[in-house]
Amino acid sequence: MFEALSVSVNGREQEVAGGETVAGLLERLGLGARYALVERNGEPVERARYEEVRLEDGDHLVVARPVAGG
Amino acid sequence: MSLGTSDPLVIAGREFGSRLLTGTGKYDTFETMREALAASGSEIVTVAVRRIDLDARDDDITAYLPENVLLLPNTSGCETAEEAVRSARLARAGGLPDWVKLEVIHDPRYLLPDPVDTLRAAATLVEDGFTVLPYVLPDPVLQKKLEEVGCATVMPLAAPIGSGRGLKLRDAIRIMVEQAEVPLVVDAGLGSPSHAAESMELGADAVLVNTAIAHADDPVAMARAFRLGVGAGRTAFLAGIMEEGAQAVASSPLRGAIHGP
Repeated sequence: MFEALSVSVNGREQEVAGGETVAGLLERLGLGARYALVERNGEPVERARYEEVRLEDGDHLVVARPVAGG
Repeated sequence: MSLGTSDPLVIAGREFGSRLLTGTGKYDTFETMREALAASGSEIVTVAVRRIDLDARDDDITAYLPENVLLLPNTSGCETAEEAVRSARLARAGGLPDWVKLEVIHDPRYLLPDPVDTLRAAATLVEDGFTVLPYVLPDPVLQKKLEEVGCATVMPLAAPIGSGRGLKLRDAIRIMVEQAEVPLVVDAGLGSPSHAAESMELGADAVLVNTAIAHADDPVAMARAFRLGVGAGRTAFLAGIMEEGAQAVASSPLRGAIHGP
């Protein structure tokens, strides 16, 4: 059994299960279907790797998306 | 130029049939935006990148964007070169194109771009494999430096963003047109199709418009009007615009008038 991890998402602390992936986190946040862009500890995460990148305790994540703009 | 003749806009080796780039900001609804984008004929459409609000589920703009256009993420909201590079890399990693409308702005009143940080970020992003389209003040010296570091276009503002004032710095933009080695895109401040036509007559390769379309009473009709304005200006530029003269030159014969001898 994995231990729970604490990560921050857009500045908010979130408890996630140990072994959780980026894709899993997005799903849990209700963002699975969205066009989400992810940065982990200051480094962008390639979309193709969302399923394989596993979160670690204390990770800082930024989750963004395209919005209307000029 | 006659109808049917090919006159593509070429940026970084990619051809576009439309010389009108459009922004997606400020529309009342995404449905209106979608219709206006279609009416504009644009093939390059800008978007911004922002953090998701985990408490508010807004609509996903990507569901409303045509599939046959190039999405051009901007770096709006970035106040330094470092922030702009970070934003562009995030967008690319997340699956948006590796093209970026580079803007670095920390002046809240006039939203004028920082030339020093824009140049710094441009050099880094080009090095990192991006196709970089920088938004700048109409500065012919900065233009050359941006070209030297490998920018794909240079995009001078006509007037402050959203002001609708037209080509306020026309003489500087004329110099930039004259010495441009990559496409020159007039971006920001165009308020009406005549402003767009004027930019194209001057020899700009394209224009980028957002507020003037999005804030019209009928954005879809205005998008069509801008498309026509850009087309008229481009056609006139290629056709060769007459020289201005100080005196009149009669259009009708001066001899043989009916009342003559």
